[in-house]
Amino acid sequence: MVAMARDPLLPTHWFNILHDRPQYVSSAISRSRLAGAVKPAGHSVQLQQPLSLARQSLNTTDRLIPIPDEILDLYAQYRPTPLRRAVHLEERLGANAHIYYKYEGANLAGSHKLNTALAQAYYYSRAGVKRIVTGTGAGQWGTALAYACQVMNLDCTVFWVRSTLRQKPVRGEMMRLFGAEVHESPSDLTEVGRRALKEDPAATGTMAMATGEALAFAAEDRQSRFAVGSGENSVLLHQTVIGQEAVSQLALLGEFPDCVIACMGAGSNFGGIALPLLGAAEDSGRSIRLVAVESTACPKLTRGRYLYDLSDALGTTPITKVYSLGSTYVPPPVYAGGLRHHSAGPLASAMHADGSMEAMAIDQLTSFRAGMLFCETEGILPAPESAHAVAGMIDVVSRHPRQAAPLVVLVNISGHGLLDIAAYRSFAAGEIEPVSEDEASLSRSLSALEEFNQSIAELA
Amino acid sequence: MATTDSSEVAVQPELNRRQATSLVFDSLTAAIPGLHAETLDERQELYGDVGLDSLGFVRLLIELESKLGIQLMDDELMTVELVTVADLVDLVERISPPAA
Repeated sequence: MVAMARDPLLPTHWFNILHDRPQYVSSAISRSRLAGAVKPAGHSVQLQQPLSLARQSLNTTDRLIPIPDEILDLYAQYRPTPLRRAVHLEERLGANAHIYYKYEGANLAGSHKLNTALAQAYYYSRAGVKRIVTGTGAGQWGTALAYACQVMNLDCTVFWVRSTLRQKPVRGEMMRLFGAEVHESPSDLTEVGRRALKEDPAATGTMAMATGEALAFAAEDRQSRFAVGSGENSVLLHQTVIGQEAVSQLALLGEFPDCVIACMGAGSNFGGIALPLLGAAEDSGRSIRLVAVESTACPKLTRGRYLYDLSDALGTTPITKVYSLGSTYVPPPVYAGGLRHHSAGPLASAMHADGSMEAMAIDQLTSFRAGMLFCETEGILPAPESAHAVAGMIDVVSRHPRQAAPLVVLVNISGHGLLDIAAYRSFAAGEIEPVSEDEASLSRSLSALEEFNQSIAELA
Repeated sequence: MATTDSSEVAVQPELNRRQATSLVFDSLTAAIPGLHAETLDERQELYGDVGLDSLGFVRLLIELESKLGIQLMDDELMTVELVTVADLVDLVERISPPAA
């Protein structure tokens, strides 16, 4: 096969922040050591993901980790992605700022998720796995993984949060076009899904539920494995091609950002753009402000607790210390399904805990307004998640003093909104309302989270 | 199953059963906080008795890679299913590099 010509700006390595900050390796708690844990006799221990990926999540030795040639050839099909100055938006805002954006929507899957989907599919395929099973929120991860599995000749099963699947049926068709099986979650295919449907037949679904179903489904077949699209250190690592390219592209323009802004689901697009910029800032003795923008429907960083929590409804995954609203929190349905996960990932949480980044919550009406403005001025319709980043950026820029030097900001447009036309149409028709957190669900969930942590403390 | 890693400082010679068992006990205690080698027994179940889950298994394999000076391969490890400590000792015997 003839390799795709590689642009000199395409990074050949992933940037590993764990080398600079080994304290970000999470101290997970094994469920088997919790009081009352079920320990069936004859239960076998096996790897849930290829050791190569696990090594990446724990690697504190190497600052740069080589990207395998096979993955680089696939990245070369769509990377480097564009970095542009949003001059028309600057004019419209009358901003005392140089606004740069990195656009990750110009690939077949339509978002940054492809960066890790290709990498993970490569490692799973090389490990001999035949099927990858996953849960998806907004559907961008599911789409990217479906495509990556097709490229790597793997089967793919996607459990998709019901409320989002029903908002975006075309995206589901896209996943199926790439050969994936797509199931609405909660489903009757797994015990955890059946239990949820019994409790509430109209359940809208959550990322924790979709993830739990994917884990349960994968566990039934020895040749299947679960894969995750955000949160894990290895996933954030794969996304660092975004920020590394941005450093190089901005350097060509003689710029370095004062502030980097991205939306926050569990942390992959945020980490992807922010971590290499953080590394570059520290290398050059500059200061940099990192801002994560979350949804007011799921404000894990601005209202959550930094405690140990589960990441899925099944309780299968390791228990990690994260900013969380509690794994039983059910966010109200919003169009930015990718921001509905109840917790940030361990690495993003550790960064927030030590003050390396800030967080702000934006409601969906404000985000759609920002997304439309970005579309009108820059000719790109951002995904609802990315529109949160745009809204956050506008907030930051609007607070910058006029008499100061222009603020240089970099915002990540993590995906396009071309499959979210129905949502934008609702916005244009005045049918979108601001959505805040569900206080009743939040109160119950936080109480349960604190009780859970109390039980861990007693065990220790 | 494994390739030797020339970057490692020392490569262990092929292990006999006793050495493999000792290495497993040391690695388990390194991978699982609070576990003591003197309480371990080859007949114990890794999950139910020792408390080794998939994450602990990863940490243990990385520990073994370091101690044996090898790099384990994804493809053969993915199909490995271990129930008892003895199964793990068997695995270590298989993956330890042959004596020079």
